[in-house]
Parts: sequence; structure tokens; C-alpha cells
Amino acid sequence: MTKISHEKVEVVIAGSGIAGSTMAAELGEAGFSVVVLEAGPERKLSEMISSQIWSRRLRWAGPEVQETGDLVGAANFAMGWGTGGAGLHWYANWYRLHPDDFHVRSKYGRSLDWPISYDDLRPWYDHAQAYFGVSGDYDPNAPTGAPYPMPAIPISDQSAAIKKGFDAEGLTLSLNTLAVNSISYDGRAGCLLDGWCDAGCPIGALANPLVLQWPRAQKAGVELRHNAYVARFETDPSGSRATGVVYIDENGNENVQPADIVISACHTIWNARLLLLSSTDKHPDGLGNRSGTLGQYFTSHALTTIHGLFERETEPHTGVTGANTLCLEDYDNKLPAKDAFGSRAWLVGQAAKPNDLLGTALAKPELFGDALDDYLRKASSHYGNMTVLCEEDSIAENRIVLDHSKNDRFGLPQAHVTNSLPQANVVRSEMAKSEGLRIFKAAGTSEAWAGPRNPMHMIGGTIMGNDPSSSVTNSFGQLHEVKNVFIAGASLFPTPGAINPTATLAALVFRTADHIRTNRSSLLP
Amino acid sequence: MMRRRRFVTRMISAPFWTSIFARGLSEKAEAKTVEQTSYKRLTHSDADVLAAWCDVIVSGARPAGVANFIDQSLSGDPASSLLLLRYLKASDMADFYRKGIIGIETESHHRFGVPFLQLAQHQQKEMIEAAVASNMQVWHDPDPNFFYFISRSDAVDVVYGTEAGFADLGIPYLAHIPPPKPW
Repeated sequence: MTKISHEKVEVVIAGSGIAGSTMAAELGEAGFSVVVLEAGPERKLSEMISSQIWSRRLRWAGPEVQETGDLVGAANFAMGWGTGGAGLHWYANWYRLHPDDFHVRSKYGRSLDWPISYDDLRPWYDHAQAYFGVSGDYDPNAPTGAPYPMPAIPISDQSAAIKKGFDAEGLTLSLNTLAVNSISYDGRAGCLLDGWCDAGCPIGALANPLVLQWPRAQKAGVELRHNAYVARFETDPSGSRATGVVYIDENGNENVQPADIVISACHTIWNARLLLLSSTDKHPDGLGNRSGTLGQYFTSHALTTIHGLFERETEPHTGVTGANTLCLEDYDNKLPAKDAFGSRAWLVGQAAKPNDLLGTALAKPELFGDALDDYLRKASSHYGNMTVLCEEDSIAENRIVLDHSKNDRFGLPQAHVTNSLPQANVVRSEMAKSEGLRIFKAAGTSEAWAGPRNPMHMIGGTIMGNDPSSSVTNSFGQLHEVKNVFIAGASLFPTPGAINPTATLAALVFRTADHIRTNRSSLLP
Repeated sequence: MMRRRRFVTRMISAPFWTSIFARGLSEKAEAKTVEQTSYKRLTHSDADVLAAWCDVIVSGARPAGVANFIDQSLSGDPASSLLLLRYLKASDMADFYRKGIIGIETESHHRFGVPFLQLAQHQQKEMIEAAVASNMQVWHDPDPNFFYFISRSDAVDVVYGTEAGFADLGIPYLAHIPPPKPW
């Protein structure tokens, strides 16, 4: 195998998704020389074809993730492949973790604490929502923060039909907060509400890296290399400093990219895998793993979707894929019943096309033949849905490890994820399902049913903390043991809360970029 | 399917019906072309069984080219695959379908003593019901229920998930960038 050495840069970033592209733009604009390595191919806006079938090309196509446990199966669906990563097909639901989510261990004696509080992150949430462009109205059940830069997207016919049920339960349904333009914003168009978000948004109404971060990064001189599969980080003989990364290019050649600062901004599982793959004699259990916590405390959100057919027309194919409305009321009640634990959030009125995992056909997978056809003709204009996200406790047993019995095409061990939902979270999830069915019944559905419990979002594995003996990084995502290696992404979260992670991920990226800028002289030799 | 066609004849005037009939003939010719197309990854007999299986699950899947849809993705670069299976089991997708087809045939012989293609319609339906209920007698790998789930998704894709499928369901397609072809 040919070995190619590249000229040293100040910063090398693995991953070009939302975390990697935002970090690249921030550091590039701050004057750092930056190279970004993306495992997949180059993507263009013209590839964002409005089709659930064609959109599958945007999903993960790297090594398969081995998964075991009762809350697994979302890995390949959630991850992206190519420029922008999962940022090309994300749903743009934009929420802040609540203050208690940062102190679960202290307040409830379970799960973990963050090393920072909501107040530490609040200004970065404010900054991130202006940067991405977020639509939304004031919600008394959401954490305090700056007003959103755009008004909320109006209520859809689907949400209006479902709202009756929330009213009957005495719960407030709010317009959703989304990184989707309700009006023109920052040179990008307003949303047409055509329901194709997860096939990619070529008009840029949904904030994605091709229209938001990459133009800024490239203007700042950041270099983006595609088909660059990062295999490991390299350290000096003392093991105290990273010297760069090794990646494999599309011709199978090994490349060495020296750098002063190394940032892993891959999807959750791959951040942990990369550190595990970077073991040396000084770091025999993986880079930065003296604590033994690398890979541990993997979490997800326990998702259940409530489906229903309404008498009124709902136009389910329109709107946004994320959700049109939201219920955060009672989110802060993490002890809703004896033996139950965790927050929950309702995401209501998701645009649904007939096919794919979230389509109307798969809402009733047992139907076939004429029964399926009859159902789809009704569902095409009368279907409604909402999804509940429930919190999962962070426990050491749920984790990411290397599976040495299965290698990828380059001979590197694949990742193996174990995730099972702790019993108190199962009880919480079941309570939410019952609540959802009551809501849909009260909304006047002719038929309502619940789908199976599934995972959504992948979080943890390289958790942050103040104590190097029980965490992988500090609050800036900086490895406790190797100070010029940073992690960016949801793998840093000690707890997941019960809301989509991207707003928090972005806020942390901005905070870390600011830390690197501020400490430039000490980080660069 | 017949009920839908009757509905169409009630709602549309005769000149339109004539043109629809002509288009129907054209679609049949197109379907024949699909059937005669050579496969790159599946054998013809495998493709016939898979298409028949999918056609019981979603009426119209066979003439819509479900076997070609699957074969096209199995024979190309896995990163360009358009199959839903890539979300859930990406390591050896061709082997998954091959074993599934063997499972269909093995179960059919066990239950009825003949290949799936020779089963009466109600017998084919009974096989699908057994897959839905995880009640196969001798077919275990791949999990028949999961194979049903995946092949059903493929059939739904080609029948309902295209621009033509949306139109048939009365759903405006509203494309930002229309697909260059259905799949």
C-alpha cells in the first residue's frame, strides 16, 4: 500500500456533517489552516432529489454497525454519507435541553451530570439559533433564551386535527421550533412546506451544510477532501500529543495528515470507534481511555409513534418532516409515576409520504393486498401522526466497543453497539404511549394505533465530565489525556434529555470553537 | 385493484376512458419488456418468484418492475443502493434476498408440494399471512417476518412511491427536484 504524506496543517477535522462543517467554518474564519476529511463522496444540491427512494443514497454507506439490545436499529438510517453527512437529511427539529437535564445525577440519583449547566450553554444556544436560522414562537414550557429570529411555521391541517386531543388532555400544543426558514432569512428562501425534508432541501430553506457552513468554510480557505476514510489518530512517542490522522483514500492508499489540533466530528458511534482504533502502547485501551469510560454511556431516545385516521382531511404529505407542532408541557416532570423515570416530548404532525420508514404504508406493516390499497387511499388524505421521545438513563452497560471478529473492507474492526432501555424508562415510555392513544382518541380519530418502540438519535460514548477518572473529555470536548484532540458531536452528551440533539450539538461546537480560538497560542506549538 | 378500476370508469367520460385503455395496453407492453429484461444479480427464476411474492403483497408490484428495482440495486455500488434494506442490514444484501427466495420456495414445497409460482392465489396469500404472523414452518433464515417487511417496502416503493404512484393515490407530488426516473 502506498503511503502519502501531506503538508502539516493547524487543524484536521474528521467528518463534514453539522458538527464538522460548523467547526471548520468557525476555525477557518478565525484564521486557522483547516483540512476536513469526509469518508463519503462529494454531494451537490442537485442530488437532493424529491423522492424517498432516491434519498437513500444520502444515508450511511460505510461499515455496518453491529447492534444488540432492545433499543437498536437506527444506525444506518440516522447517519449520512458524503458532504454534509446526516446534515443533508436531518429533520431540523431545534430544541434546547432543559436545565434539569444537565443535573440528573445530582437531582435524582441516577444517570449522569454534565460538567456545565444550562446557563453555561444558553448564550451558545442563542448564537446557534441565529446562525442556523430558527423559526418558532415563545413557548412557556421551553427553557428561556433569545427570541427566535423567524416566526413559527403556521399550524398544519394535520396538527389542527390532532390539537383537539391535546386540548382535551389539558396539554398545550405549541408551534414547533425548526431550523427551517418560515420566511426568507440570511439569503436563503422560505420553506414551501412540500414535505421532502429528509430527501434533502435543495432550496436551502432547511439549514444544511451545503448552503450554510460549507460556503463560509470554503470562503475562509478550508480544504475538504472526500472519500477520505479516517483510520486512526496518531500520537507522539510520549502519547501526550496527537500528531495527525491516518486516512485511506479512494484508491486504497494510506495518507498521513499531520496537524497541530485533531478534531473528531463524526457521528456518535464513529467518534468512539476512532478513539478505540487509535490505541497505542501508551493508550492500550483506546486514545484517552485511561478512565475506561470510552464507548460507555451510549444512549438514545425511546421513540413511539401514534398513528391515526381522521374524518377531516389532513394533507399529511405537506409540511415538514420533523414536526409541525410540539408539546413540552410536563417535560420537566421526570418522575411521572412510581417506577417510571424520564422526560418526554411530543413531536406532532410530521409530513408523511406513502413509502420509506416513516411513510404511511409502513405505519401499518401487517396490511397487504387490497387491504393495504384501501388503507393507503384513506391515509393519503386523512392520516395523522405524532412521535414521543422519552429519555434513556445513561448507564455504563450501554456502550460502543470494537468487534474484532468483524472487519470493514480495510481490515479495521467494526463497531458494536449494545443498548437496552432501563426498566424505569420502559415504564415511562409505556405511559407516554397510553397518553398518546388517549390524545388521538380525544381528537376524534376513526382509528388510532401505536407503532413499536424504536430508538431515535445516537448519543454518548465519549462523554464529557470534570473528573478524568469517569469521563473522556472536559466540557470543551478536549480529551483529558491528550490536550490537542477534541471531540465534536452528540457523543459528548452525558445525558440525552428527551429532545432532538442538534441544537445542543451546535451550541457545544460554537463553545469549543471559541475555546480553541481563545487558547490558540497554547494549543499550537 | 378491480374495485379501483370500476371507480375510475364511473368517474371519467368515455373519450378519457378510451385513452386510459390505450395507456393500459401500453403499460402491459412495458411490463412485458420488464419481464424480458435480463437480470444482473438475480436469476430469472429467482426474479420470477420474488416478483410474484411482492405482487401478492402489493398488487401491481410485478408489472411495476419490482424484481428489476431490487436487481438494479444489488448489482451496483452498494453506496448507490436505493433499497430500504440498506438502513437495516447492509452487509450482504444480495445474500439476504437469495436466502429469502429459497425460503419462499422451501416453505411452499413443504406446505403445498409445489413451487410458489404454481400456488393458487389463496395459497400464496396464506404464505404471506404466515410471514406476517411469524408462522412459517420450515423457513427461518432470513427471518420471514423481516423478509416480508423488506420486500413489502420494495413493492410499496415501485407501486406507490413514484410520481405515478402518488398520482394514483391522489397525492400531489410537489417535487423540488423531480426524480430523473422512478428508481
